[in-house]
This record gives sequence, C-alpha cells and structure tokens, in this order.
Amino acid sequence: MGEIMDSASLYKSLEEPDRADHLWRYTPWRRVHPTGDLTDIPDASAPKVGLTCLDENVALVGISIEEGGVGGEILTESDKVTASFIKAVARDSAFTLRVEKNFIASSPIILDIDTGDSDCALHLTLDIGRNCEFELITQISGSAPWTGFLRTGRVGNGSILNDVVIGHTDCGTLLRVDSVSIGRDAQVKTGTVSSGSDNTKSDLRYKMADTGGHLNVLGSVLSAHEMHLDHHIEIHHDAPETFSRLNWHSACGGNSRTVGTGMLRVSKGARGADAGQLFHNLLLSDKAKADSIPELEVSEHDVVGCGHGTANGPVDEEQMFYLESRGFDTEEAKDALIAAFLNTTLVEMGSETLHHWLAEHLQDELDDLKS
Amino acid sequence: MASSTPVLDINDLHAGIDDTPILRGINLTIPSGEIHAIMGRNGSGKTTTANIIMGHPDFEISKGTVELDGNDVLEMEPWERARAGVFLSFQYPQAVPGLQVGNFLRKSVAAIRGEDAAKGPEFRSKLKQAMNELDIDRSFLARYVNDGFSGGEKKRFEILQLMLLEPKLSILDETDSGLDIDGIRTVAKGINAAVRNSDSGALIITHYSRILEHIQPDKVHVLIKGRIVKSGGPELALELEDRGYDWLENDPEQSA
Repeated sequence: MGEIMDSASLYKSLEEPDRADHLWRYTPWRRVHPTGDLTDIPDASAPKVGLTCLDENVALVGISIEEGGVGGEILTESDKVTASFIKAVARDSAFTLRVEKNFIASSPIILDIDTGDSDCALHLTLDIGRNCEFELITQISGSAPWTGFLRTGRVGNGSILNDVVIGHTDCGTLLRVDSVSIGRDAQVKTGTVSSGSDNTKSDLRYKMADTGGHLNVLGSVLSAHEMHLDHHIEIHHDAPETFSRLNWHSACGGNSRTVGTGMLRVSKGARGADAGQLFHNLLLSDKAKADSIPELEVSEHDVVGCGHGTANGPVDEEQMFYLESRGFDTEEAKDALIAAFLNTTLVEMGSETLHHWLAEHLQDELDDLKS
Repeated sequence: MASSTPVLDINDLHAGIDDTPILRGINLTIPSGEIHAIMGRNGSGKTTTANIIMGHPDFEISKGTVELDGNDVLEMEPWERARAGVFLSFQYPQAVPGLQVGNFLRKSVAAIRGEDAAKGPEFRSKLKQAMNELDIDRSFLARYVNDGFSGGEKKRFEILQLMLLEPKLSILDETDSGLDIDGIRTVAKGINAAVRNSDSGALIITHYSRILEHIQPDKVHVLIKGRIVKSGGPELALELEDRGYDWLENDPEQSA
C-alpha cells in the first residue's frame, strides 16, 4: 500500500513537464492524460489478461501470469511523470509475467490484453529468469478511451527473448511505458508494431547495466487518418561490451503524424559499447507529417561505434514503376511498397513463425485502414 | 501461331524528357513470331524506347503511335500494358527491400495471367522448372526482390519473371550485360522457346553481338541519335562489331 501511495504522491509532487524537454516536444502530457486535469489520478478498470501459446498443443509450464507485482521497480532512468502516473492508476491492476529459469518455448507465447471499453490501466512486471529462450507477443486490443500500460522488470542473465508489443486498439489514447533492464549476456529483440489508437505516446527505456547485453529495438509503425503516434526510445549502455541497435520504420498517410525520438546514452566505463539508431519515415500523403530526432550522449571514449541517422521520403517512383510493369495496379503497388517498408523491421523481430504471424496481422491492419 | 497483325508497331515516335528530345521519329514493326534487335551507342535512345513502350511516366510523347497487337498502348497505364502482354526486362532492375520474391512472383502472375495461374501444383511445377533452367536456388524465394542480388542474379530473376508471365512482347534491355556465357545461352534458349512459332515477339536491346549469336534475330536495327538509321539481318550485328558506328553516323541517310 505504501508503494501505491508513493507512486501517487510522487506523481502529485511533480511539475507539469516542460515542452522544451526532448520527451514532450511533440505530444504534451496534457494531451495524453485521461482527463486533462493534470492533478487527477482517475480510477481505471483492469484489462482482461490471458496467456496462451500460438501452438495450442504446447502446455504452458514454467511461464505464468500472476496477479500482483513484486519488485519490478521503475528504473531511475525512466520519466517519473508517466511511470508513476500509470503505476498509481494501475493500483488494482498489477500483474507479473513469471518465467522460470531455463524456460524454453518453441512456439511464440501470446499475452492478450483486452482493454474493454472504459479507461483501463495495467502494470506488468517482467520476471524472466536466467537462460530462458522464448518469443513473447503482447497484443493490446479493445476500445477503451484511455489505456495505460507500464512494463517494468528484468530479462535474466543469458536469456534470449524476442518480445513484440502490438498496439491495435480501435480508438482512444494509448500511453505506454517500458522500464526494463537487460541482464548479463542476454540477447533481446524488442519490437513495437503500432497501427491502432488515435493517440499513442510511448516512452520505452532499456538499461544495460551488465556486461555483454545485446539489444535490438525495432519499430513498424503505420498511421492513417488523424492518428498521432509518438514513440520515444532510450537505451542506456552502463556496462562494458554492450550492443544495441534501434531501427524504426514509420509509414504515415492521411492527416496523421508520427514522431520518433531516440536517445542513446553511453556511460563512462561502458568500454566496447556499440550503439546505433536509424529512423526511416515513409510519407504517403502531402498532409502526413513525420518527425524523427535521434540523439546521442557518449561519455566513454573507448567504444566500437555510436551512430545515428534519419531518412524521410515519399514512395519511390522507380519502385512503383517496377511493380506496375509487373502488373500491380497503382494501388496494389503502393500497398505492396508500404507493406515491404514495414516488413523490413518486422522480419527482424523474431523467428519465421513469429514473422509470418506478424506479416498476416500487418496485412489485416493495412486492409482495415483502407476500409 | 503467327497472325498477320504485328505484335509491335511503332510509327513516327517522337519523345523526350523535360523538353529535351531523345527519340526523333522511330519506325519499327515486329511481326508475330519474330525477334528483333536494336543496337546503338550509349545515349542513342535504346533504353528510352524500351521505357516508353512500358509507359515510364518521366517521358513525354510529342508525336507518333505505339501499338501492341493493333491496340494503342500510349493511353494505357504501365500496369495495363503489362496485363496486355508487354514485359520489360530492365537494364537495372529495382530493389524492393521487404518484398519477398515468392510473394512478388505470385502477385505478379495473378495480376497478369489470373489468380488460377498463380496457385496450385501447376504454378509450383512451372516455377520449379524455370528456376532449375536458370540455375536459381529455392532459397531465392525467401529473399527480397533484387535486394543484395549480384548483377547476374538480377538478370536471371528478370528472365525467371519473363518465363512465368508469358508475355506477348518481351523487351530485353541489356539483359546480356552481367550474364556469363551460360546465362546468355539460357536466356537465348528461353527467348527462342517463347517466341518462335508463336504469336508473340521480342525486342532485344544490346551493345554486343554475343547474345545475338545465340538468338539469331530476324532483324537488327541501328539506333543513332533517336532514329533508326539502318536495318538488316543478323549479319548487320557482325558488321557493327567489326566497323563500329562511325560509318553510319557519318551517313545517317543509309536506312534499309
């Protein structure tokens, strides 16, 4: 109870975030707060949460979803406003994904989060033991006007995790925060597939405090109509020989706007760190807007490399002509190029099975957006 | 079997880009069942001719007609031309990262030859046979279209598409460059099989006579500064090999 009060008290003690801050430049806190009254910590319902395996014949032994959150503290590197707010709102909706050490699954595990149709919040603690190997698909669906989703926790030493979060709520605002540490020699791919909600604000932070961590952060973001999808990603290299890549693809059409801001921080002492980030935006209409700002803070001289880049552009006319010369009509060619653009990050998110599943999902989303 | 309407009939075609004229009155007729070749220096308008037949949006046609099987193609979109039977094997095929070869081929065959032709054992068998003939490994299907392909792989992939799409008119733009001698033989075999004794035709654009030794074109045309200045039989290609183009450039009135 003290912890819950602490989150609420902490949130109430904070000033309204300044728009000069990197995180709040494009999407002010007021825009994604559920009521707009920033002092308010409203009630929110708990979503329906279910854990299954893509292969129905695989029994879930060694992995479970349990009510209550033990440990899973918010990283000091995380933004206090968003993390403490969701934690306070999700006071009655804390769960732990417990994965025993050495757990191995040959087929992706699916965590379904159904928001229902009223404001909803969830604090999920990842308690992933050492030397696990599995793929996790987290699907957020429903039609809640506002959804808060906070993930805290740790990926255990030596574990190999392909983690994909799919945001495809029908409408409303999705506020998402990751505050996760990566264990020694763990290999983590964490993907975001975002194609739903009217408003998304994500603040995803990963900390590599142990030697040998390997992290790929990937995004396939599709926006249309009046959507506003804002993702901020921070990767902290605090230990030697850590590796990270951020590769983020956004396709935006209609009147929509996507924002991608990245921050790579390499601390003094993180010798041999290797970090890079790349944002690609595909603009599908004259009115669509895409902003990407990659940033670096490197305090260690002895690094393998730290780089960043961004590229914006419309659909390539020569690629269009090539596909049209092969019988694709203009709309089919454009759709194929959008799907291909998003697929280049999608395919990196995990196994062939996972990719196949994600590619089908993406095609459904593309079809839905056109209908 | 061969019909009396030519597969391709180009009449007094003038075209350019950004007010710069490139083609200055091309006349070319390919009867069904025939293979023609266009030779010429860089910049003479060979690739422009190919792109205009396919419908590249960058070019403006100021005069003339292009007909496929008696139908005007200049009013058609590129994809309509493809569905009507025009196929262009590109000199520099575009890479499309993220689009898998297998999916691309199925969609392309479905668009041009119909859904039924793109599924089932018949399609798979045809695909397998064509890949074997072109010495293309099965793993190719999972790769992305032309992404990271070597020069030779790109050309073989273009020919694989040609074999699956069964076009009425095949235009091969410098398909021989980047291919080794075995590749050229394979392409030549594919073209001969597709065109000879059929109602389709082919136009081969090349710098070199090497591919023509294997294909034996019915006619060779020489393009200089946007005009066909001379046409002849296969022996013209050998003559060009020996003499170059200067003798034709100096005497542009020599047309056959």
